[in-house]
Amino acid sequence: MISVTPSNLQAEALDLANLSAEQTALEIRDLNLHYGSAQALYDISMKIPKNRVTAFIGPSGCGKSTLLRCINRMNDLVEICKVSGQILLHDKNIYDKDVDAASLRRQVGMVFQRPNPFPKSIYENVVYGMRLQGVNDRRTLDEVVERSLKGAALWDEVKDRLNASAFGLSGGQQQRLVIARAIAIEPEVLLLDEPTSALDPISTLTIEELITELKSKYTVVIVTHNMQQAARVSDQTAFMYMGKLIEYADTNSLFTTPDKKQTEDYITGRYG
Amino acid sequence: MDKPTMSRHISGKFNDELEAVRNQVLTMGGLVEQQLRDSLYAIEKSDHELAEQILRRDTKINALEVQIDEACVQIIAKRQPAASDLRLIIAIFKTISDLERIGDEAERIAKVALESFNKDQQEFLLNLENLGQLVLTMLHGVLDAFARMDLDSAFEVHQMDAQADRQYEALTRQLMTYMMEDPRGIPKVMNVLWSARSLERIGDRCQNIAEYIIFFVKGKDVRHVSAESMEQTVKGGR
Repeated sequence: MISVTPSNLQAEALDLANLSAEQTALEIRDLNLHYGSAQALYDISMKIPKNRVTAFIGPSGCGKSTLLRCINRMNDLVEICKVSGQILLHDKNIYDKDVDAASLRRQVGMVFQRPNPFPKSIYENVVYGMRLQGVNDRRTLDEVVERSLKGAALWDEVKDRLNASAFGLSGGQQQRLVIARAIAIEPEVLLLDEPTSALDPISTLTIEELITELKSKYTVVIVTHNMQQAARVSDQTAFMYMGKLIEYADTNSLFTTPDKKQTEDYITGRYG
Repeated sequence: MDKPTMSRHISGKFNDELEAVRNQVLTMGGLVEQQLRDSLYAIEKSDHELAEQILRRDTKINALEVQIDEACVQIIAKRQPAASDLRLIIAIFKTISDLERIGDEAERIAKVALESFNKDQQEFLLNLENLGQLVLTMLHGVLDAFARMDLDSAFEVHQMDAQADRQYEALTRQLMTYMMEDPRGIPKVMNVLWSARSLERIGDRCQNIAEYIIFFVKGKDVRHVSAESMEQTVKGGR
């Protein structure tokens, strides 16, 4: 059983339209995105608050993953993709010419749907990013491994076999290992793209529990198909449909009294 | 907020389940209304046999409450309803508990019909009857509003309660005067007073149900708010 601790309780509702600079981790301004001639995102503007969990929900193809990928410029890898508008991190537009995508991704980490550990030991998976940054001091790395694995709620399960292959772990453990790898380099923002859709219900709950713990240190943005999951883990929820942001509100109110009929139809299963 | 619709879910079975539970609530409401109407009639006509029947029928209402409760629990467990579906289930949960209590009050009123009253006392029964008819109108109105999830008629019923309270107070004063004048009649008059109290409580419970209807439609909790702010909720948008 996963215990209900105070950290699981949802945070007080924020006035999302008028977040102060200190409360804001990311600001998206008039974001439009085209894949070739097809437009995938239309005029998205929103502020994502710091140290909170924000969920993007919506039917397949609504643009929620695309929007998430914009936040660490994953879409740069898609040649036909064109982005206009701004995403501000510390008042700096991440799409400015002088922003290096690799250093951006150190600040904005990402975890994908399928656990994707590297074919290395558990230990080497966690320190991979550190090594890329040129950190090789054994003691520093040991500390990072312990801190990250503890942060990802995996330490107790793997501390005796850190040198074993990461592929020996279960799916849920692998996903937590990937999260440990992402937080090893201490990003500010953690993007989770359907992190539990390939996991069983118990591993899913473990990850959800982890997400609520992670928000004390990181700003978490999660894309999920599982509406109950969005309702459980997030503090605010954005509902997207056909590339547009339909409604963005405090999770408690969005799931009980949505403002827009499209949101209502989607979360009550009337969308067809 | 956009108005909730009863349009269909992707899951046809979920539709059927919600529809079934709504129908059961309406059935239960119909039974409760019948109980109240009959209990008023039984007093008016001193119909002892009808009064006995009313006492027996209350078990049916209780059984329905349990059934509907169970159906709602099943829906919550299996469907995890959200938004208007969730508000509907919550409104139903609360409505049936008020309906069950209205049934109990009707039963209490029916017990008065088992007594016989002298000519003077008959006069109070007439006033009791007036209050009864008003409350019956409220109950009928709120059940109708529930069936259609109609905001305006729910609000109308909610407003009617003030009138019921005034009639109840007037009747109470009249009964007290009588008791002071003729202490020998106190036991019987007390019975009339209890029924008046029951009717007044039924009015309050109709008011509660009206509030649940407003909660379902508007998503706003209008319990314990001023009449003006309730009117604002009912008439206005968000």
